Amino acid sequence: MAEVSGLTSTTIRRTLRMGWLYLAIGTFISVLLTAILLFRSQHGGAFATTYPLELPVFAVLASTGGLQTFTSDRTKGVFEYLIAYGVRPRTLFVNGLLATMVLTGIILGIALGLGLGLASANGVALTGDLEQSLALYTVPMSFAAALFTTTVGMIWTTVSTPRTGINSPVGLAPMVGIGPTVLVLIVAETLPSSEFYPFTTGAAVAILAVVGVLLAASSRLMGRERFLSPL
Amino acid sequence: MTADSSSVSQRHRIELRGVSSGYHGKPVLEDVSFVVEEPAIYVVLGPNGAGKTTLFRTLAGILSPYSGTVEIDGIDIARREARTRLQYLSHIDGIPDALRVEEALRFYAGVQGATPEDVERVVRLLGIEELRHRYFAELSQGQKKRVSIARVFLQERGIYLLDEPTSNLDPKLAREIRDLVLGLSRDDLVLYSSHNLFEAKEIGKYVLALRNGKVGYFGRLSDLRPARYVIGIRAEGAEGILAASTRKGDYYLQELAGPEEVPKLVAELAAKGVRIREVKEMENPLEDLFA
Repeated sequence: MAEVSGLTSTTIRRTLRMGWLYLAIGTFISVLLTAILLFRSQHGGAFATTYPLELPVFAVLASTGGLQTFTSDRTKGVFEYLIAYGVRPRTLFVNGLLATMVLTGIILGIALGLGLGLASANGVALTGDLEQSLALYTVPMSFAAALFTTTVGMIWTTVSTPRTGINSPVGLAPMVGIGPTVLVLIVAETLPSSEFYPFTTGAAVAILAVVGVLLAASSRLMGRERFLSPL
Repeated sequence: MTADSSSVSQRHRIELRGVSSGYHGKPVLEDVSFVVEEPAIYVVLGPNGAGKTTLFRTLAGILSPYSGTVEIDGIDIARREARTRLQYLSHIDGIPDALRVEEALRFYAGVQGATPEDVERVVRLLGIEELRHRYFAELSQGQKKRVSIARVFLQERGIYLLDEPTSNLDPKLAREIRDLVLGLSRDDLVLYSSHNLFEAKEIGKYVLALRNGKVGYFGRLSDLRPARYVIGIRAEGAEGILAASTRKGDYYLQELAGPEEVPKLVAELAAKGVRIREVKEMENPLEDLFA
């Protein structure tokens, strides 16, 4: 439907406006850490092992704008009007996830572009291991962790009264989102190296499946009054 | 309960049958039934907590009834097609953060299926040309309300659910909004909630009074009679003649049997040399609905 695609594009545009600070901070710190890794490691050893593992954490931080927009819309009563105009709750959730995906794509694009560019400029070879690590862990886990964060935050927002600051879904969800990422890494480190990437990629897919289940269950089971502003 | 349907255009119809509705499983409205089909303004009254906002949200399809049915033009409100036939104004602005006024109106125009030309029309209609490039968050309360109301006029839909449209507005803007709503009512069904009984009396043709989640009264405003019929007379030269009357400000209060006695009283006072400046009804029959 035209109005829904317009709704989605406006949501993404607003998310970029509202979440630019998270995006800027997440991107800046990831690039800064990349630079530090490159300058402190000889021949890029620490860079190749650490850089792919750090990015999902910053993707979660940088994509907080998606959840921030969802929470703001509920509090400001925007959802009340959208539902009255026939927009389904599932569309509201999906829009939040699409905005999160855009932000995640932006930070990955910038961080990977700058990180790999800096590495090349410093003479660090882009090995097959590094490419495999980025493709099988960094990219899928970044999207999975960011979408998981937003999904948990959106559900939390709709079932709770709003709080502000750090003790709010927007304040706490990034920490919730980082959890699976770290857990996957801890478990993966105990596995033989040949099982590392199959496990991490499988974990990312599993997290995405959890996102799908949570989304379907919430859309189906959650009463529309949950989307009303508590103000 | 049914509004008088003589001279009904039959264009639009709202019907509730045995509706119970509320929040998180707790009903606020209980067994509410009525039919609205004559184009007019239906003022929805009731004390705080009576269920006015819940009624509007149920009619708009935002709340699903626990029991009973809500139909718009014969279509169940659960269907999107029914919701495209009505415009809704909540007591909350509902304008998204990080949007300028014109962007916000275009956003809602897109959701409603209205056009950029419709946005231009309502910007002129509501007199918000100078606000169009400002962020909504920067506006005063009155300006925010004006923008919020503009959204309702983006597309003609025949049924208008307006929950306290003039709350927190200065008298001039409230008057402008009432005039716009009065313009709607010639062809459309308008349900209009207000705490202002004088405003309700001024614009309403029908009254739907809620009490404890039930319909306490539904009928023509003109059929309501106050328990006491009291008029206020502002006059010069009445000090001796109306000395026994109670005073309220500049007005001498007189209790009569009904409005038919007013011309007789006025004639008697004029014959005694009283120069009458104003005669007005002092009791609002709507107040009795809150008793």
